[in-house]
Amino acid sequence: MKKQKKNLYLVASLCLSALLLLEGCANTNGSIVSNDDPYEEVNRSVFGFNASVDNYVGKPVSAAYDYITPDLVQTGIGNFFSNLKDINVVLNDVMQGKLLQAGQDTGRFLLNTSVGLAGIFDVATMVGLEKHNEDFAQTLGVWGVPKGPYLVLPLIGPATTRGIPGMVFDAAANPATYVPFPIRSLELLNMRTQKAGTFKIIKEGALDPYLFTRESFLQSRKYLVTDGEVELTDDIDLDSSIDETDFGK
Amino acid sequence: MLIPLQNKLFLLVITSIFLNITMSTAEAKSATAKQVVVRFQANVLKVMKQGKKLGFEGRYKRLEKAINESHDLTKITRVVIGREWGNLSEEQQQQLITVFTKLSIAAYAYNFKDFSGEAFHFDSEEKTTRGGMIIHTHLTIPKDKSVTFDYMLKEKNGQWGIINIIANGVSDLALKRSEYTKILKEQGFDMLLLKLNEKIKTYEK
Repeated sequence: MKKQKKNLYLVASLCLSALLLLEGCANTNGSIVSNDDPYEEVNRSVFGFNASVDNYVGKPVSAAYDYITPDLVQTGIGNFFSNLKDINVVLNDVMQGKLLQAGQDTGRFLLNTSVGLAGIFDVATMVGLEKHNEDFAQTLGVWGVPKGPYLVLPLIGPATTRGIPGMVFDAAANPATYVPFPIRSLELLNMRTQKAGTFKIIKEGALDPYLFTRESFLQSRKYLVTDGEVELTDDIDLDSSIDETDFGK
Repeated sequence: MLIPLQNKLFLLVITSIFLNITMSTAEAKSATAKQVVVRFQANVLKVMKQGKKLGFEGRYKRLEKAINESHDLTKITRVVIGREWGNLSEEQQQQLITVFTKLSIAAYAYNFKDFSGEAFHFDSEEKTTRGGMIIHTHLTIPKDKSVTFDYMLKEKNGQWGIINIIANGVSDLALKRSEYTKILKEQGFDMLLLKLNEKIKTYEK
C-alpha cells in the first residue's frame, strides 16, 4: 500500500513537471527542417503528448491549487524552493569564473536561509541582492560546448542535448531533489501555477505553439548563456533579409 | 492691389496647410530613434493606466495611432513573410499587411489592459552596421523581475520606425517569422490569413 502510494506520488510528480513544457498541439508535420531541430517530427509528437498531459492533469490540478492557496503562500513556497536552487547558482557562478557574483549569491542564500526563515521570505532581493539565473547547461555553454539539436523530452519539455547533462548535474546539486515526493510535487505544482500566464500567452498568441515554444526557448537560452547580450549579428541577419526583400524601394 | 476677403481666406488656409505640412515633416524628421521609442512606451503606459476604463475598443483606438506612428508595419510584414513575399500577388501582400497590422494592434490592446506601477527606462542606444539603430530599455515591474526591451529601428523617408522588439533576448520578429514562413510554405496563403484572423477574433472576445 505504501509502495503504491509512493508510485502514485511519482506519477503525479512526473505529470506536474508538465509545467516545464509549454502547451500546444502538433498541428503540422515538419517538412521544413530547421538546423536546430533535425528531430522535429518526433519532437512534435512528444510536444503534443506533453500538451495533452498538461491539459488533462497539470492545468486542472494547478487551477484547483491556485483556487485554494493564497498568493502569499504560493510566493512563500516559490521562494523556499528558489532559495534551495541558489546553492546550484553559486556552484555555477564559480564554474563560470564569476567570483564576485558567487559571493553575492552566497550572501543571498545565507541571508534568505536565516533572516528569510529558510527562504520563505526573499529578504535578499529587498536589500538589493538580486536573484541570478545560472545552471549547468549555461556553464557548459560558457565553456564552449555546442548546444546541439533541440529536443522535447517527455514530461519535461524543451531542451537541447547540452541541456541533458546540465539537468542531471543541476538535479544532483539541488537539495529539493532529495526531499520526499509529496514535497517535490508541491514545488512543481507551485511552479505550474505561477507560470499560468506564460501558458495563456502561448495559447492565445501563437499560430503554431510548437514553433513559438522552440524559438523562444532557444533564443532565451542563448540570452542566458551570453548574460543578456543582444548580438548585433542577429540584427545583421535581419538586415540582410530586409535588403533581400528590397525594403525602402 | 487689394485682395478680396475670400481670396485672403483661401491664401491663409493654403499657407496654414503648407506650414503645417512643413512643420509636421520637420518634426517627424527631427524625431530620433530614441524619441520614437520613448514616445511609444509613454503611449503604451498611458493606455495601460486607463486600460479598464477604455475597454478593448478604446485601447485599440488609442494604440492604433501610437503603433502606426512608431512602427513600420509594412516592413515588419515583409520581413516575417521572408522570401515568399515575392511570390505573393500585390493584392495578397496588401491583405497580409492589413491583417498583420490589425493583429499587432489587437495583441497590444488585449495584453496591455491594466497598470500596476510598471515603468520603462532608457538604457543606451547603438548603431547597427547597416544604418539601423538599437534602443536598449527595460521595464520595471513592482514585485517582479525587470524585463529588457531592445527596439530595432530603421529609417525610411527621414522617419525612424520600429521593426523589431527583443524582450529578454527573444525577438518578436524571429518568432513570427518562423511561424509565418512555415505556415505559408506548407499550408498556403489562405490558411495563414485564416489563422491570423482567428487570432484577432480571440483578442477581440
